[in-house]
Order: sequence, then structure tokens, then C-alpha cells
Amino acid sequence: MALIEIDQLNKIYNTTAVAVHAVRDVTLRVEKKEFLAIVGPSGSGKTTLLNIIGGLDNPTSGKVLIDETDLSTLSSSDLVEYRLQHIGFVFQAYNLIPVFTARENVEFIMLLQGVEKKEREERAIDLLKQVGLSKRINTRPAQLSGGEQQRVAVARSLASRPAFVLADEPTANLDTESAESLLDLMEDLNQKHEMTFIFSTHDERVMRRARRIITLQDGEVVSDKIVEQKK
Amino acid sequence: MLLALAWKNIWRNKKRSGIIVAAITFGLWGGLFSSAIMVGMTESMVETAISRNLSHIQIHKVDYDQNRDIRNFLPDGPRILSEIEDFGGVSAAEGRTLVVGMAASASSSYGVNITGIIPEDSKKITDIYSKIVEGSYFGTDKRNQIIIGTKLAERLNLKLNHKIILSFQDLQGGIAYIACRIVGFFKTNSSQFDEANVFVLQKDLFRILSTAPIVHEIAIRVQNIEKLDMVMASLRSAFPDLQIESWKDLAPELAYLSQNANIYMYLFVGIILFALLFGITNTMLMSVVDRIRELGVLIAIGMKKSKVFSMIVLETVFLSLTGGLLGIAIGMISIAYYGDTGIDLTAISVSLESFGASAILYPILPVAMYLVLTVMIILAANIAALLPAWKATHLVPSEAIRTY
Repeated sequence: MALIEIDQLNKIYNTTAVAVHAVRDVTLRVEKKEFLAIVGPSGSGKTTLLNIIGGLDNPTSGKVLIDETDLSTLSSSDLVEYRLQHIGFVFQAYNLIPVFTARENVEFIMLLQGVEKKEREERAIDLLKQVGLSKRINTRPAQLSGGEQQRVAVARSLASRPAFVLADEPTANLDTESAESLLDLMEDLNQKHEMTFIFSTHDERVMRRARRIITLQDGEVVSDKIVEQKK
Repeated sequence: MLLALAWKNIWRNKKRSGIIVAAITFGLWGGLFSSAIMVGMTESMVETAISRNLSHIQIHKVDYDQNRDIRNFLPDGPRILSEIEDFGGVSAAEGRTLVVGMAASASSSYGVNITGIIPEDSKKITDIYSKIVEGSYFGTDKRNQIIIGTKLAERLNLKLNHKIILSFQDLQGGIAYIACRIVGFFKTNSSQFDEANVFVLQKDLFRILSTAPIVHEIAIRVQNIEKLDMVMASLRSAFPDLQIESWKDLAPELAYLSQNANIYMYLFVGIILFALLFGITNTMLMSVVDRIRELGVLIAIGMKKSKVFSMIVLETVFLSLTGGLLGIAIGMISIAYYGDTGIDLTAISVSLESFGASAILYPILPVAMYLVLTVMIILAANIAALLPAWKATHLVPSEAIRTY
């Protein structure tokens, strides 16, 4: 059974005078442990597709099943809970809570899950060590570099022990060194911890690392390739 | 952790939060201090009136209010007075002989209430003796001593040791005269009282009237003002044929002021809080608008809308309580300070004295007010939080995340 099954997915925005078909008849399956990039030019529907997979947006038609759960059957409140328990998010602009330290940012999602304080602290410190920030545990985001902030965001996305991580343009704001280092980390987590990563990107650096690349154009899947990993 | 987040969030924009905290602090301080002055003035008017001549309880013949004739005295008054002095809950009592008459000097005359007293008894009931500004309070053994108010002295152009002629109806319906020598001038907080009242010794009145002791009014001080109603009930039961009235019955306007001072106070502070509520709402709305992306992320990663709502409410309560508690603290300190030293309003003493208030005001506020106010602040904060919290919980995370 696939981790994610997407069947005949369509998303049409009617917010302007002209209806915009952002996602058109997308059908695909994502298996566990995949390291997948959804690529395409701006406006091709990458982010919309990612948002629908992440339960942040509703499709106009079609289905998204995650571990056999049909997201369209969940209420708004259940979707929030589902995201909390099953999906990790990494955003382009890091989006950490600025008044919290790195550890508190990672802990916060576990607090929402109701994890005990001691376990929260231990897991947060452990995750920050995994992403190479053992010396920056009690540092606030403003004192961290972009690459370090994104590493905290990765640690936060893993803190809830999700089924997969959705990363929307995670390297867009990073310099080459930070981007490569972040991708090393994500690859490592994928290979050693079997974490599934789904990227939305048009960054060549990510595409070079992805083992499967789905290309979107005008909301349609125009190619779906399994690729040899290249460095 | 949610509490910590809410607390930290309100200090992210220190200038904006500082301004609203200052507005709440000074708004509440102003409201509290004004209320304390209002309550202090009311209390002062009540206490002054009670100490001046009202006392806690007065006893008259049933129809004395309608007929203030000299002959309408309490039957067997001295015996009743003697019984009341030993009555449970009574601290002190004095019998007063009341006569309405004219006071005349060489240059003018004026209608006055003549009160015959025994100074030693009167001292236990009123504080007129402490209001003597010139001369003494019946300090000699001489006959026909009188003390009058400074206001009356001005009107009749009288000085210490001058003579004053009192004329009034006697017990037979004729006119009696008594020439008194002024031994003292009193000045109370009420210029009206000072102009219309004179005090003489009862024995002088009885001699002029050729009568055995008569009493028109028995004034009583109770031991514990909280038990006033209980003492009243006992007296009414013991003396069913007499008119027994508390200060509240005798001065209903003062009783009304006293009873409603707290209501006005809550209303006043409530209006201030209501006005502040809009400022708090505005600050929190700005705070939410500034954090749309962050709130969108929180909802996206799994923070339930109820928790987002609680967080905004908590932030509003923290913000309001910070200003509120500071305002209460400054209010408490300033009220305690001026409650001890008093606020000198002698510059406007003439107008204050015209309605019986002291020129030195001692602001006072019941302790319960501070507790009620804290609850009112929390309540106002919750109301102020509704709109910002509603806005925060109605964000669409997929759109909010992309807000820059």
C-alpha cells in the first residue's frame, strides 16, 4: 500500500474573473522512503499540489489518501490534528517562532501533541544534535544563520514523528553551501531513518539529489521520472 | 509553554505594547484616584454630619417633625435618656433642648436654632468642642454663656465677649428673652450650620423658662456602626411610642450618596475600561496582522484553532493585566499616601463647605474595589480579545503562510 495515493486531483480557483485550473487531473502514488521533488516553473501548481497533500487546501475534485485515510472525509478540526500527528512541514522562509529558542521551537510541536515535558526536552535536544545544532540549542532564530534556521525547521518537522515531510522550496533562501549542507542532512535522514521527503522546488541543487522528479506544467503532470542519484 | 509564548509575544513590539500598557495604567490610576476622592468626600460628608450634630440615632416625640414647638418635648425625657444611656450597643447619649428663635446683636438679627446642651455629655456625641476657633467651649461657670458659629458672628457683627439677645417662644406661648455673652466661636465644615445654630447651657434655658429639665431630642452614638440597625430595632421595641430614626432617615441625601458612591465608582471605572477596551482591541489586532504568516504556520503545523484563540486571549489578558495591575498598584500607593496626609483643597474650601464637605479630603477606596477591578480588567481583556482572536482563527493557513 502506497504512503500517499492521489487520484484524479483537480484544483480550480474561482477568486478572479477567470477560473484558474491550478492542478489538473493529477494521479500519482508516493511510496514510503521516497526522496521526491515536484518541479516546474512558477505557477505550474507545485505549491498548490503540496498544500493539498498536506491538508492545507482542499481539492475541487479528486482524492488524497494518506495511509488509506481520505483527507476529504476529515473535518477542518480533524485535518489540523491529522497534520499535527502525520505530516512534517518545512517552509521556504523557515517560519520559526522568533521569541522561542531553537529547542523551544522544536519542543512546541510536541507540546501540541501532548508529549510530557521531560520527553519533549530530550527529543528536542536529540533532534537538534541530529541536524548539527548541538551548540545552538538555546539560541533564538534571529541569532541563527538562514541555513541554521532551516535546520531547526527540519528538526521541528521531525519532532512530531510524521509519516512524511513536505518541504516547500526549502533551499530557496539559502546560499549554496547552506543548501548543500541542508540537503545532505535531509538525504541522511531519508536513508538512515527512512523518512519520506517531498519537495516542491525549482532549485537545481534539490533536483540533483532527488531520486524521483515529478514535473508539473500548467497544473498537469508532464513527467514522472525515477532518477539515478547524482552528486 | 503556551503561557510563556503569549507573554513573550506581547513584548515583541515593546513600543506598541508599552503605549497601551501606559494608557491602561494611567487610565485606571486616574479612575481609581478620582473614585477614591469621590468616596472620601462622601465619607467625609457623612462622618462630618454625624459628628457635627446628626449623631447615629435621634429620638423625638412621634410628631416632632411636623410640630417643632418648644412644648412638643419628650414626655419624661430625662428618665428615657437615663435608660438609653445604659442601653445595649449604645456608646453615649445626650439630651438636647431645642428652641427655634431669633438672635439679635446691636446691628442685626437672624433666625437660629438654639440648642441647650450639657457640654460634658455633648462632647461624647459631637465634635463641636473641637471646632472652637476663638474663645472656649463653655469654659467658665458664668451664667448665660453661648457659643456661636463664625458665620453668624460675621452676619451679626459680633466679637468674643459681646452680648447677643436670644428671643423665643416660652412654654406658655409668650416670648422669652435671654442675653448671652459669647464665650466661643465655632467653625465647622458647613457654613450653613455655622450660620444657623447656637449652643447654650441647658440649665440657663431651664431657668429662663422656669421649668424642670425638658428634652426634645436624644442623640445617640452606637458602639459599632455595623450594628446600627440592630440597636435601632432594640430601641424601637423598647420605646414603641417614640420616633427613633437613624442618620440615614434624618439625612436621606447623605445616605443616598453613601450607598451609591460605590455604584458610581464602579460605573466610572467601567466607563474608563470600556474606552480602554478599544485601544486594547486595536493593539491586539495590529499584533495579529503583524503575525499573519506566523499564525498561519502554527495552524499549518497542527495548532488547533481553539489553542490559537486561547493564545490571543492570553496575550490580551497579560497585556491588560500588566497595565491594570500597574494602575492598581500606583492607585493603591497614591490613595494610601493621600489617605494619610489628605489633599488640601482650602483654595476651594468655600464651595466645599457650602455642601458640608471638608476642605481637607482623604481619598479612600474599599479593598473589595481592587479585587472587583482586577476581575473587571480580565473581563474587559477577554472582550477586547474576541475580534483579534476571531481574526487569527479564521486565517487560511495556505494563504497566511505566503503573506509577507
